[in-house]
Amino acid sequence: MITSGTERALNYLILIVFAAFALAPIVTVLAAALSPQSAAAAPGILGLHPENFVDAWTEGEFSRYLRTSLLVSVTVVSVAVVASILSGFAFGTMRFAGSRALFYLFLLGIMVPTEAIVVPLFYDLRDLGLTNTLWAVALPQIAQSIAFGTYWMRAYFRTSPPSLIEAATLDGASPRRVLWSILVPIGRPAVMTLTVLAFMWTWNEFLIPLVMSPNGEFRTAPLALAIFKGQHVQATALLAAAAVLVALPVVILYLFAQRSFIRGMLEGAVRE
Amino acid sequence: MNRNALKISTAVLAAGVLLAACAPGSGSEDPPSSEDREISTDLAALGDITLTVWDQETRGGQDEQMTQLNEAFMDAYPNITIDRLSQSFDDLETTLRGALTGDDAPDVVQANNSRGTMGAFVGADLLLDLTPYADAYGWTDRYSESVLAASTYSADGVTFGEGNIYGLPQVGEIVGIFYSRAALSAAGIDEAALTGGTWADFTAALASAQAAGQVPIQLGNLDGWPAVHVFGPIQGQHVPADQIAALGQGNAGASWLTPENEAAAAELQGWVESGYFNEGPNGTDYDAAWASFGEGTGTFLIGGSWLAADLEAAMGEDVGFMAPPPAEAGGQRATTGATGLPFAVTAQSPNADAAAGYIDFITSDDAMAVLAETGNMPVNRTAELAPESGVNADIFAAFGDVSENGHLLPYLDWATPTMGDTIGAALQDLIAAQTDPAQFTQVLEDDYSAFVAEG
Amino acid sequence: MRHQRRYLPYLYLAPALLLFGGFLIYPLIRSVQFSLFEWDGLGASEFVGFDNYVELFTDEVLRAAFGHALVLILFFSVLPLVLGLVVAAILNRAQVRGLGLFRTVVFLPQVLAMVVVAVAWRQIYAPDGGLNTALRAVGLDALTRTWLGDYTWTLPAVGIVGTWVQTGLVTVLLLAGMGRVPRELFEAARLDGAGAIREFFAITLPSVRGEIAVALTLTIVAALKTFDLVYVTTGGGPGNSTTVPAYEVFQRAFREGAVGSAAAIAVALTAIIFVLNVIVNRIAEGRQG
Repeated sequence: MITSGTERALNYLILIVFAAFALAPIVTVLAAALSPQSAAAAPGILGLHPENFVDAWTEGEFSRYLRTSLLVSVTVVSVAVVASILSGFAFGTMRFAGSRALFYLFLLGIMVPTEAIVVPLFYDLRDLGLTNTLWAVALPQIAQSIAFGTYWMRAYFRTSPPSLIEAATLDGASPRRVLWSILVPIGRPAVMTLTVLAFMWTWNEFLIPLVMSPNGEFRTAPLALAIFKGQHVQATALLAAAAVLVALPVVILYLFAQRSFIRGMLEGAVRE
Repeated sequence: MNRNALKISTAVLAAGVLLAACAPGSGSEDPPSSEDREISTDLAALGDITLTVWDQETRGGQDEQMTQLNEAFMDAYPNITIDRLSQSFDDLETTLRGALTGDDAPDVVQANNSRGTMGAFVGADLLLDLTPYADAYGWTDRYSESVLAASTYSADGVTFGEGNIYGLPQVGEIVGIFYSRAALSAAGIDEAALTGGTWADFTAALASAQAAGQVPIQLGNLDGWPAVHVFGPIQGQHVPADQIAALGQGNAGASWLTPENEAAAAELQGWVESGYFNEGPNGTDYDAAWASFGEGTGTFLIGGSWLAADLEAAMGEDVGFMAPPPAEAGGQRATTGATGLPFAVTAQSPNADAAAGYIDFITSDDAMAVLAETGNMPVNRTAELAPESGVNADIFAAFGDVSENGHLLPYLDWATPTMGDTIGAALQDLIAAQTDPAQFTQVLEDDYSAFVAEG
Repeated sequence: MRHQRRYLPYLYLAPALLLFGGFLIYPLIRSVQFSLFEWDGLGASEFVGFDNYVELFTDEVLRAAFGHALVLILFFSVLPLVLGLVVAAILNRAQVRGLGLFRTVVFLPQVLAMVVVAVAWRQIYAPDGGLNTALRAVGLDALTRTWLGDYTWTLPAVGIVGTWVQTGLVTVLLLAGMGRVPRELFEAARLDGAGAIREFFAITLPSVRGEIAVALTLTIVAALKTFDLVYVTTGGGPGNSTTVPAYEVFQRAFREGAVGSAAAIAVALTAIIFVLNVIVNRIAEGRQG
């Protein structure tokens, strides 16, 4: 396609403006995180103060909170992804009574905001003695990830070539073998994208850990940040450093997986 | 999504409601009553115990005193370990409701005296009646009657100020006026004339400060509640103290709809119109505002005594404090003030004896000395522990003067469970001239009268 | 698949259905039940029928909260969609280098925790924060505001944070959709002498209907569950000018002891999301579903 020089210049201008809009707040936080904590601080390294990260890390007890976050996220992702693969496989490749109604129920689940379930969940789990445990924080989020995951995996299994399944079945492979030895390996991008999404949502969730762990035992990193803010609000540099610490694990995961992740998003998002 | 989905989900939900489990709230059982329990004050004989303590003493001097007292306590009683969780006032308010009704509630909590917190907890049998311990430890001699009244409720939580004792505070609090001596002299205001003068002298000083190009009052009202502490002293100028007490405690028999309350609101709004506040108080963070004042921007800061330690650290000799001046020379001073958050014992705590002993320890006469050393204002022995000089000398004197000769007025947000939110938002509206004084008092009256009617 | 045992599909569904039913559908039903009671979360409860729902219409603060949620939809959904369409369409017309890097960068705000985003923007919006400093630097002192304490500007300020978070997601989705349009279509249109604008409305827009529906679905849900953003930036203030239903649910349930009212707001919020999504999908499909 031939385009004029002006058009190309305009394209690059748009790219740069949008990228700048996306990056500016992130750069602001990074700059604040490396700024001196007070006017009387030492000059630092090249005028930067990476020691803020160390101070925030120790004062905010972030090692503990990040461990909790990791535990919760890994629990949620592993359970939700396996359950979603199984249910997506059923919806995508089998015919059975009530499949439509059940699938719509899962679709409804995608639209239910956390706020709508958190109140009764808190009281019911409390009566079961489960608040302040991993399960109170993880199970509601597993349910939310399953809602989306079922929809997502069904879309993938529906587009998997029927001839593949037919051939394998004729060779006497059980549905279980078809799923785990043929379909899942081929569907790695779809599973990968679901894993990254579920991990991101869980890592970033605020309301559920806030409510489900009132004694702070299962406080996750975003919560620790909000509490840190209440304690060190005038130390902008420390707060910014803490924000960077909380965001970092997800950003690293995203950058690491972004190529296949975005491709999975593009392929899987719109297929009905 | 299509119409079928809508039908199906509606049907599912409807069926679910019909089959729903027991009504909310029926799953909780009442904790055992504390009346027939043997109590013990011999902490060393209690065996190995871990006490979980939730406080909100997060700022510099407050955190220091807690740390020191906890260590002293554990040295005195090696069999008891203190497991402390400290979070900001707002965070504690958020998590406390859920924590107290759960299975593993902390043993000792700082619960705000307000009806929304302590009152609601007492009504739901979640806090331990400490009256037996008060007799055993002699707390009624240690504390003045008015201080104890602020953490006293009837057993059903309906009446505030009479009945059982549910908590003990460590510190006194008084809301007053911090000022910068450098700013005063730059604006040509005489300090002695100001502190010994009248309310009119103070408002004249605001005008002088503004004329001198200063920021007369620093206010960081992003969260809504800080302005309550500015309004309190103004209200104390206009409204009789007994009326403010009833309004603040949410007891029946008062009204917001009086010309005096309206005049107080009008005065605050007048200050905004005259440009006495920093740029955009509603968008300024509380901590950012006092930090600016500490860095030398601003003549006055109307706020609580709990800021003293941090302000002194930042300003040294430059900062002074006075209780809001009286309307006529030599008259009584009235301002918002009370105690810090009382420490209470949860009804579920299996370690009630140790918890009560701990509270006794951190409010003892020796603890009062530690509080004073770390720059906090002890609620007892205030006068004798007053420092020689510095801003705390002013504050201790002001607290003594107002509590003995004047009127300490309750925090207005104690009145109802929703009043904190209501008055915070209403004051932001008033400051931003979104409402006029008459509308302001009407909003508060609606909240107050609805609660009293339910009473 | 033929020859399968009848119960087999249900076996595969069981784990997902149990977890999903127990921890999402059941609590949702309980929310509906809670919303018919008045309960302080501590003691006994009282059945009040639809009183809590009546309050949604009579309580000014709640009415305002739902109004604010609709304003936020403009910022979270509509504005990113318009921006995303323009950018994606222009980028799609030409082969530019660095598109992959661009996609990675604009999508980045999506992956940050909302609390982190809120902390960052709270610093930007502070009276002498980044935004006002930048405005002063270019001589626009007249435009400086206390962004989080202004009755006119705070809600848009919160909304812009949403725009920042969602624009990348929408752009990436639309770029993908447009990338699937056969190049020949564009070539043919150009030979017919269609300009960029006509090309956009005739070819580009109809071909990304599905992506638009997905983008709107995702962003509308995001706009209506802005609890953490409001909690960290404004707490609903100044006055009640930025309170949203999600924030009111939390306040009432866990701070003020009005659990029934909180549940009613939550149920209403769910219903609104549901209805909006049905409408969006109807329009996208362009047919009776």
